[in-house]
Amino acid sequence: MEITLSHYLLLAGAVFTTGMVGFVIRRNAIVMLMCVELMLSSTNIVFAAFSRFHGNADGHVFVLMNFAVAAAEAAIGLAILVEIFRRRRTVNVDDFKTLME
Amino acid sequence: MNEFFIPAVGSQAGPLLPYLIVAAGGLLVMLVDSFVKTLKKDHLSYLTLFVLLGAILVQITRVPQDGPVLGGMMLIGAYARFFNFLFLGVGVMTTIFATGGFDRDGLYRPEFYPLLLFSILGMMVLAAANDLLTVFLGIETMSLSVYVLAGGVHGNVRSSEAGFKYLVLGGFSSAFLLMGMALLYGFAGGTGFADLTAALRGDSPDITLLTLGSGLVLVGMGFKVAMVPFHMWTPDVYEGAPSYITGFMATAVKAAGFAILVRFVLLLQPQTAFAWYPVLTALTVITMTLGNLVALAQSNIKRMLAWSSIAHAGYLLLGVVTMISPAAGDSEMMLRSSEIGGSAGSAILFYLIAYTLMNLAAFGIINILGKGRGEDGEEIHRYAGLYHRNPVAAATLTVALLSLAGIPPMVGFMGKFYLFSAVVRAGLIPLAIIGVVNSLISVYYYLRVMVMMYMKDEEEDTYSGTEWVSVVTSGMLALLVIYLGIQPNAFQRAAEVIFRQITF
Repeated sequence: MEITLSHYLLLAGAVFTTGMVGFVIRRNAIVMLMCVELMLSSTNIVFAAFSRFHGNADGHVFVLMNFAVAAAEAAIGLAILVEIFRRRRTVNVDDFKTLME
Repeated sequence: MNEFFIPAVGSQAGPLLPYLIVAAGGLLVMLVDSFVKTLKKDHLSYLTLFVLLGAILVQITRVPQDGPVLGGMMLIGAYARFFNFLFLGVGVMTTIFATGGFDRDGLYRPEFYPLLLFSILGMMVLAAANDLLTVFLGIETMSLSVYVLAGGVHGNVRSSEAGFKYLVLGGFSSAFLLMGMALLYGFAGGTGFADLTAALRGDSPDITLLTLGSGLVLVGMGFKVAMVPFHMWTPDVYEGAPSYITGFMATAVKAAGFAILVRFVLLLQPQTAFAWYPVLTALTVITMTLGNLVALAQSNIKRMLAWSSIAHAGYLLLGVVTMISPAAGDSEMMLRSSEIGGSAGSAILFYLIAYTLMNLAAFGIINILGKGRGEDGEEIHRYAGLYHRNPVAAATLTVALLSLAGIPPMVGFMGKFYLFSAVVRAGLIPLAIIGVVNSLISVYYYLRVMVMMYMKDEEEDTYSGTEWVSVVTSGMLALLVIYLGIQPNAFQRAAEVIFRQITF
């Protein structure tokens, strides 16, 4: 079987959806962060696939930038989470309710 | 490589100078904080003000050299300069308010200053973005800094929770934004706005990719401007973050979101904006109405202003919807030259300035009330009798709230007037009626705070604030609110000229 552009797009769609569903149903803050990373990474597949399809490097540049941004985001997220964990001894987002209506 | 890059950047250093100043200033402030041991507490704030004012001064005095820079990644023009002034001005005010807040809290956050500068840099890049990559980097530079600003108050669990919520939901929306950009790249075969325009004008554009991609990008931008249903983070984050940051988020971050949103929908005219036009219209109505109705029920002034900021995002979206309405013309060129598109676009710019001034004035006062240590002037019932204890603060807050409610002669009234008259001119009468009814509802909750300040007797545990620098700064903003409300014409004409000069 020949692997075409649409296979890559389907794979990316599947990974993106996995991340999205995980984000919505899981209550563990670390898992939610991982799901966001999964969603961000799935877009890299799309960029790489289209980059190959169009035969230019714009998509690859985007992928590299995305690595840096995703890493920075994870670093900040974990830092804030550590700060919360020190106070609360939990990473369950249902317990983060100081700010509820 | 070198032959290509060094002359290219060197000859473009002029137009990029404000950006370079803010970027280098941010690094400088960070280094000074780390290595200069004899630093007094206020020194970093002076240095930050110096950087911001320097960037403003360069922006004013330089002869404008408009056009694309950095190989078309960014586009310097009147539109970008307009937003640069707005962001840098908000930065100056936020620095002043934050320094006052630190004094009162006994809580000093040296990391605030570089982060503020970096987030402003992100916004400036965003307003000048001419490539999907610059849009993404601008949004993320801004957002990542603001996540830390909102969530980084050490030992304050409310701030940490607000920051975490903002970060997780912000990351979630960034993923949608990025996926949308990936699909648009697939559509156009390049990431530049010029590539997108060329592909849109091409023979047989792939409508599926375009519609899906632009929809996902609109989701990501809708999150940044707090459009319903992507607004869930707003009340919690605005409440949990320190007030000076809330003021910054409510004004500069929102303006940055609209800066790129306006350009993006103009870029996609007419092909896709029309596909999303009905959806966008429906969401606009829901955003205005939900924001105002929920604001009625709040007892915390920061939460109330958060919901009111959602409602104001709705008014601004009303302008966006009008700008791309079928009546305004059916191509991007016609849009900008047509009377309806021009009046809606300039109304958006005018309203952004109005909204920024009045909201900053309000948050400047809220920031200095309360006892400190993470407690700002939040509970509305504790504003009772503020007029007797601090008349200047009470008067300033009154002007800000009256303006937010859209009562003449404040600038908020003129902003709403321009917006709604553009809506009427486009023939969208039902939308205009909904907008007016909404601003009538909003009068109730703004007036409630004023009644508290002037007519209730003092209770125990009421607020009083005495941080004079912040009060005077807010007071000056309030005077500007009144002045622009009485003399809006010159500024409105300038906004129209700026809007017509948007290019891609």
